[in-house]
Formats: sequence, C-alpha cells, structure tokens
Amino acid sequence: MRGGEQMGKIKVVHYINQFFAGIGGEEKADHRPEVREEVLGPGLALKAGFKDEAEIVATVICGDSYFGENIEEAKKEVLEMVKKYNPDLFIAGPAFNAGRYGVACGTIADAVQNELGIPSLTAMYEENPGADMFKKAVYIVSTKDSAAGMRDAVKKIVPLALKLVKGEEIGSPAEEGYLERGIRKNYFTDKRGSERAVDMLIKKLKGEEFETEFPMPDFDRVPPNPAVKDITKATIAIVTSGGAVPKGNPDHIESSSAQKYGKYDIEGIFDLNPENGETAHGGYDPVYANDDLDRVIPVDVLRELEKEGKIGKLHRYYYSTVGNGTAVANAKKFAEEFSKELVADGVDAVILTST
Amino acid sequence: MDLENQRRVKELTEKYGAENMIVLIGGAEAESAGLAAETVTAGDPTFAGPLAGVPLGLKVYHPVEPEFKESVDPDVYDEQIGMMEMVLDVDSIIEEVKAMRDEHTKY
Repeated sequence: MRGGEQMGKIKVVHYINQFFAGIGGEEKADHRPEVREEVLGPGLALKAGFKDEAEIVATVICGDSYFGENIEEAKKEVLEMVKKYNPDLFIAGPAFNAGRYGVACGTIADAVQNELGIPSLTAMYEENPGADMFKKAVYIVSTKDSAAGMRDAVKKIVPLALKLVKGEEIGSPAEEGYLERGIRKNYFTDKRGSERAVDMLIKKLKGEEFETEFPMPDFDRVPPNPAVKDITKATIAIVTSGGAVPKGNPDHIESSSAQKYGKYDIEGIFDLNPENGETAHGGYDPVYANDDLDRVIPVDVLRELEKEGKIGKLHRYYYSTVGNGTAVANAKKFAEEFSKELVADGVDAVILTST
Repeated sequence: MDLENQRRVKELTEKYGAENMIVLIGGAEAESAGLAAETVTAGDPTFAGPLAGVPLGLKVYHPVEPEFKESVDPDVYDEQIGMMEMVLDVDSIIEEVKAMRDEHTKY
C-alpha cells in the first residue's frame, strides 16, 4: 500500500552527485556514496515544487567518477541506502549534460524501480549518454544542457513524479516533457488511417508542418569501411576527441562543449612530452595526458611502426577536439570538414582515439 | 555565478547586512548577467551553490545601467567602461538585470 498507508506526505529519496551537494567538482568526483537526512541543492527546488504533497526524507550523494568506476558496487551501496528509507518515490538528478552523472542517474533510477519496485524518475539533456541508455527503462524528463535549466526541469519533474507515485495516467512525451520511450499506445479516433495518411501527405507536399504517427528511430550507425588493402603502404592519420593540443592550447579549444577543432603539425615529432603537448580536455584528470600525450594520441608507437615499415606513414597533421559535453551535431560538423581534407591529402585510414 | 563568488556574496551579506549591499555584476552578455542577478536576488537558479534556496534579495546592477552610470564620474566611466559599453548589447543586458531586480530585490 505504497503512498496510501501513511495518508501523509509522499516520502521521496533524492540522488545527486558531489557537485550539486556542494562537496566539490572534478577533484571530489571519487566521493563515496553517503546519505544525509536533509534536502540539498536541487532538492530545495524540488521541495518548493512539491509544496506539502511530498517530502524529501533523505539525499543520497555519490561522486560521478566513483559511480562510473565501481558501477556494481556503487549501485549496491546506493540501493541499500534508498531501501532503508522505504520511500514512495525516487528521483535522481537532474543531470543536464553531465555524462557520468547522467549514466549514474539512469543506472540507479532503473535499479530502484526494478529491484526495489519504487517508482523512479530522472532528468537530463537528450544528448546525455545516459538518456539513450535508460530512456526506455525509466521516465527521463528532458532538460536543457546546463544547470541554468533547473527551474524548467523542476516544473516538469514535479507533476510527472506525483502522477507516477499516485498511479495516475501518464500522458505522451510531448505533454509531460519526458524523453520518448519507444512505447506506442492505442487510442480511438474518428478519422481512419488512410485519411490521416493522405492529410499528412498533402501537408508534406505543401511544405507544411505535420506530425508523423510513427517516428522512425534515430539510428546513428556508421557502416565500417572495407579493410585497408595494404597497411604497409597506407597513410594513417590520428583524429581524437581527447583534447590533445600543442603545449599552450594555441587555438583555445574549450575544455567542454567544444565549438571548434584544431589541426596540428607533427612533422619531426617522434615522442610527445610535457614540453610539446598537453590536453585541453576538462572532463578527466589531465595529469597523465599532460605528462605524456602519447597516452591520448600514440604518436611514439606510430613512429616506430612507420620506421619498421609496418605502416606506410603517419600523416603530417592530427585533428583534435574535446569530446566533453560537445554536441553530437557539432562533432559531426567538425568531422565533415576535416574528413574532406583527409581524403584530399591522400590519407588511407584514421585512428580515432578518445579519452 | 561560480560557487566561490556565491560564497563570498553570502559571507559579505551576513557580515554587513543585506540592506547595505550592492552587487555590481560584469557579465558580458544578457543571459549570464541575468543569471548572476538572479543568483544574488532570488537564489542560485542552478541549485548547485551556497545561494541555492537562499533569496538574498540584494540590490544588483550592471555597470552599463543608467543608475550606476549616472552615479559615477563620467570621465572615469568613459575610461574604464566606455569601450565595453560600445560593444556590449546594452539594452538586453539592462532588460535582463532590471527584470530580476524588479521581481526579486527586497531593498
């Protein structure tokens, strides 16, 4: 008799990361799970939104790196914490466009819902990696890509959360503001299918807006190219989203949400070191990359292979951007530009490295 | 507004009293100026910092606003801010900051 037995306020447990708990940023991302019987950070906004209907009885906090690197263990610890409070509702986030936070929110909301049977939801930006991973499993409220969208997010989270916990009917993604879950519902209409289809076709022909009843899934699949015929004669280029740049980051590539990429000459460079290279990336601990950038773009190893004749040659330039929070649309645009240059320069194959 | 600045504003307000505070914000475009103004009046809109859920209601101005401009030496203003005033979208900055002030400032 969840919710019904106490007749009082709906009990909520809220999950946030170390940043929103005010513990710290990247340097505190290894913070281990803890629970506090208070309302923190975004919970204050939720509390204001819930008014007297629901009460956050506890906030679970976990560092993003800790969760990401110890998923099974972290999940177990957090589940135990949530279970102890036997809440009527569980809310994780919102995570906006923070990738590891989004994945953590999705993972834990999914687990609380399916393993503890407690209604759960989370919220994040549609391009957050956690969105694609979990939007079919749990309700994910669609938010803006930064925390400036907190108020909007809360406005959508509160009514959806209350409906979930009360078992009320949930409207369509467009009505409620959550990401599409790939679920279709039957309904009655007075126009039959052929008529609706013809109406849509006429609108389409006139160039007018129309709304499809069967949206195609958005597959982002890239068919692999045929194998390189003779690798010993091939020119190989390096392309990276790991933020590799010459020392001093001359093009000022942004440490997150990059708006540009760089093209850098590595002629005569046989080994990267703290004097000639560093990373601009703001989403991981840069110490090891700055110490030896070959760890992000393996110039040293490719030079050896070049010398041994195992590859034709290493292309003179590498292309680099920062993948941290960078919009997929921007990344595609960058690649469309420099892929043409790579082809024009006679590059046969590209090694893509991440972080 | 970054977390450290939120902490400073909060501490200074506790020390000197909200009615004695004026916050001057230097955001170069309307959205960030508006968010900063919101932070020191209604509370941190991102709910990540020390001012989350803390509506200080402080007086807040951007240097390009007439209230500030008219109360300082015009020569100094020209020298220090004149150039930026020419390149910034002054109208939209004023609109954002004033809207926050009108709605949330208590002093």
